[in-house]
Amino acid sequence: MMKVVILNGNKEAAAFDEKLLIWAKQYPENDYEVEIIQLRDLNVKYCTGCWGCWVKTPGQCVFTDDSALVCKAMINADLVVFASPVKMGFVSSLLKKSMDKMIPLVHPYIEIVNGENHHQKRYEKYPELAVLLETDKNTDDEDIEIITNIFKRLALNFKSDLKFVKLLETSEVAQLTQK
Amino acid sequence: MKLTIINGSPRGKGSNTKILMEHFLKGYTSICMTDFNVSYLIHAKDLEQQVQLFKNSEYVILAFPLYTDAMPAIVMNFIEELEGIANLDVKPAIGFVVQSGFPEPYQSRFVERYLVKLSKRLNCEYLGTVIKGGVEGIQIMPESWTKKLFQSFFELGEHFGKTKEFHPDIIAKLAKNEKLSSSRLFVFNLMQKLGLANFYWNKKLKDNKAFERRFDRPYV
Repeated sequence: MMKVVILNGNKEAAAFDEKLLIWAKQYPENDYEVEIIQLRDLNVKYCTGCWGCWVKTPGQCVFTDDSALVCKAMINADLVVFASPVKMGFVSSLLKKSMDKMIPLVHPYIEIVNGENHHQKRYEKYPELAVLLETDKNTDDEDIEIITNIFKRLALNFKSDLKFVKLLETSEVAQLTQK
Repeated sequence: MKLTIINGSPRGKGSNTKILMEHFLKGYTSICMTDFNVSYLIHAKDLEQQVQLFKNSEYVILAFPLYTDAMPAIVMNFIEELEGIANLDVKPAIGFVVQSGFPEPYQSRFVERYLVKLSKRLNCEYLGTVIKGGVEGIQIMPESWTKKLFQSFFELGEHFGKTKEFHPDIIAKLAKNEKLSSSRLFVFNLMQKLGLANFYWNKKLKDNKAFERRFDRPYV
């Protein structure tokens, strides 16, 4: 059974949520366990940069909030999909807030990868990452490329690969909607 | 001219970003006296006011630490509020300062590209992005280690006061060694062998009596 966790970074209830539900149906129930986490319904505090998750309570944020739930779902998944409408050329601040709180999943110790400093693994295994976007009228190809490159870097820092970046309005979703 | 520094660090007034920008401002005010504002995005309740401040400035410098390969969420939250700026008749020119704990400027290049595009999106004149790696720890480093860094930020501010531009040579100096140089790599490997590479973390872990738990995996 493959575990897919979809982080819905949509800030307000909108058509995006519906489309996301339809998109998620491409993973057949027999082979996949799909969980959609509605980030806007969670209580996740902004990362304060205290690094307590590395040096005080290793592996956990020192503040009690729902980021623990997000981290737990993420590290136990095979694939994590970062889903968000694109606004101002990037994923939502709501999604970014949860991304900032994922650092307890790696270790503070440093290793060298491709001649760069990166954090060492904390866990044995990390999920593959993917990005699912809904563009707005001001989004262009360059924005998608910028987002893609930033998530490739995120995947590198989370000992993983970026499996795909997809747009919700492409034919794939349209086909699923017709079904 | 009116300059606004927007500090996007989640550590607010305790941030390394603040220290770097203080040195910038020392240089700047040696030319332009008191003609500036500083605002901290960590105070989210001031968001509307901060957007107004952005609109009413001639020059804005948005300074923040690299967070999971991009801007911290509080910075993105602010950027989302800037959507209407592009249509204004008068807009500030904007520049950026991105500092990281990782020593390599390379790690900040990806968000730099976003910032270039953001300036275009806002229809604002782009003043450039100053990138500085290896900033974590400056608050505990001996003065002799940070002297050059602080001097560079002073000069950056002084030049900005005179010309309203980031000096390209200072930008280049701050971002030298795009990735680890072979000598730095040699030193790192040596430290690793001697068990010293993690000294900083181990000390903090021990101070917090968390050393034995450092490899904990609470979520599996």
